[in-house]
Amino acid sequence: MICAGIDGGSRAIKIVLMECGTCKVLASGVRDQGVHHERLAKELLAELLKKAKLSRRKLARTVATGYTRNAITFADTTITEITCHAAGVRYAVPDAATVIEIGGQDSKLLRLSPDGSVHDFAMNDRCAAGTGRFLEVVASRLGVGFERLGALAHAAKSPAPISSMCVVFAETEIIGLLASDAKPADIVAGVQASIASRVAAMIGRGARPPVIFTGGVALIPGMADALHRVLKVPVRIAPKPQMTGALGAAILACRQAAADRVAM
Amino acid sequence: MSDSPKRLTMEELDRLCRRRQAAGLPMAAYAGPLARHVEDGDRRLLKLQYDDSAAALRLWNFLLTEEDRLHAARAAGKKIVGTMKDLGTVPVMAYAAPNLVAFYPDGAWWTPCVMELSEGLFALAQSLGLGDALCPVRAMAGAFVNRAHFPIPDLLTCSVGATCDDFSAVAQRLESLGYPILWWEMPSRRQPDPGEPAVTLPGGFCAPESQVAVVRSELERVRVALADLAGLPLGDEELAAGIREANRVRALLGDLRRMAYTAEPCPMPALEMLIAEMLAIHFCSDRAESVAVLTEMLDEVRSRVDRRAGVLAEGAARLFWVNPVADLRVMNLLEDCGARLCGTEFLFCHALDTIPEDLPPMEALARMALADPMVGPSADRAARIVRDARALGAEAVVVSRIPGASHCAMEGGVIGRIVRQQIGLPVVELEVPPVADPLWPTLKTRLEALVETVLERRLR
Repeated sequence: MICAGIDGGSRAIKIVLMECGTCKVLASGVRDQGVHHERLAKELLAELLKKAKLSRRKLARTVATGYTRNAITFADTTITEITCHAAGVRYAVPDAATVIEIGGQDSKLLRLSPDGSVHDFAMNDRCAAGTGRFLEVVASRLGVGFERLGALAHAAKSPAPISSMCVVFAETEIIGLLASDAKPADIVAGVQASIASRVAAMIGRGARPPVIFTGGVALIPGMADALHRVLKVPVRIAPKPQMTGALGAAILACRQAAADRVAM
Repeated sequence: MSDSPKRLTMEELDRLCRRRQAAGLPMAAYAGPLARHVEDGDRRLLKLQYDDSAAALRLWNFLLTEEDRLHAARAAGKKIVGTMKDLGTVPVMAYAAPNLVAFYPDGAWWTPCVMELSEGLFALAQSLGLGDALCPVRAMAGAFVNRAHFPIPDLLTCSVGATCDDFSAVAQRLESLGYPILWWEMPSRRQPDPGEPAVTLPGGFCAPESQVAVVRSELERVRVALADLAGLPLGDEELAAGIREANRVRALLGDLRRMAYTAEPCPMPALEMLIAEMLAIHFCSDRAESVAVLTEMLDEVRSRVDRRAGVLAEGAARLFWVNPVADLRVMNLLEDCGARLCGTEFLFCHALDTIPEDLPPMEALARMALADPMVGPSADRAARIVRDARALGAEAVVVSRIPGASHCAMEGGVIGRIVRQQIGLPVVELEVPPVADPLWPTLKTRLEALVETVLERRLR
């Protein structure tokens, strides 16, 4: 039995095809998000099915998650990214106790029960200052590619303090830093520290290890270290962190399909 | 009464109303289609979903005609008392005089939501120096300036001190505009020192006798002002009778809450329960009619419970909700996400407790006022939430923050921590602005995720 998990994020669509009995990932892929969320998801799904030599009819169940989950009308059901990330992390890191997910649109903290289910969670409120959007803004302002931010941060000698609580004001602050000859590397490291401190504020008193870092922002070198510095506990990056939500959605789709089969 | 309760759009509810009118069924004099309030600017009504009972229709009409009632009271020669920053004490005293009508000007904080910001009350408040760093209650100052809502009261009272910094700032600005205010001081409730004479307050908190005495003497000044305004004596006998009547409202609300929040399936939607609870504050400017409205609500709920008829499927996630929402639509949203209310603490839980009838009335009122959750430590408030959430079988707690409200800024964290520590429930904080549409996806995700978490915990 084959199931699909689709994570329609604000910046990218991620899909995982899974063979349910073995929990084997048959194919996975990522595509940049656009205006037509559903069409893009359909195209990526078709591409992955072709790659795995499967037909659409083979799909027993499809679960959509992520910011645009409700736009993916061909999915059988939707599940929030909070539940999906927990399931995805549990699959990849069975002893995870805390999950930090930073995506393009928001950031989340999940406290997991010993069985891997969500015990409690928190999300950042309205502000983009604790999200990948902040890094996009700084990349654009510095005129560097998003993918180069990590290397830049690595070269930082003295991270610039970013005190603004809002991305719009922070951008102004960055312009001021550039005008005063601050090095781009120090600015990027400062922004990473700023995001990390916002996530730490969401966590409150102590993050229970093992702490697993997921979401697209986990791909940027230096972010996990920035989180480690403020949380004072090791922060491990989940395998293929950008895919964790889609992986969890596929796992939950398999569970639902199995339950449906039992009920029949 | 409806056979199979469901939620309706405003148009559907209005059709029901017209059918009832055409059939000659008994309806309150103020009842009618809600569309007339949309014409007056209450555009949010178009986006809400309503319970389909006659009782709920009456409740909504009662709520939405309050301003008419206040203007009619003035025309009839009654005196109007604006009881500011007072969640249920001075109104009990004012209604003890037959020719006084009390209302809650702070209630104007809902106006920007119901009118979807079209009225410009926030802009007016801003022009007075009351910007969005303050609680949405600043809308009240705008309502005093444009005079398009409630009549200007004959007497304004306002509790100050430990109550609310934001509101004090707004009320001080109001006074500077030429609206004299009778201020009464509320001390910050504290635990009695060892050996210090203490009393137990309604709701179970303890306070030093000396603090109760301070509040009593402050309320005595209010009593004198009310009696002067009424031109009638406001003695202990009148106050005791007023307390008994207020307790009738509270008892009805107590029964309604107990039944609506514990029955399975959920017999009454969250939105109507929020509106009903608010009647505790100042009786929506008509104490006797509040009793009638709540009695009909209770009858409807009782009938549904007897028939096991619910507005939601059985098994909805049981949420305990803390703080009122600025955008009423969020009450619909929680049900759309598969949850129901199983208890609330809308910041005026003391106004739901019975006022002691075996004490001298001023002593009883002072104790009740000092039981206000806002005038004590956040830990006290959290303790009551823990107690009630546990008793009502809550599966999760939602702390809804009001943007700009200073008391909300820190309390959510304290409440969340204590709830997690003591009863191990998941707690989610939401910030709900007066018009929450731009935040809809994130609010929906949080509530859906909370429901998913609750359902998964059940499986464990």
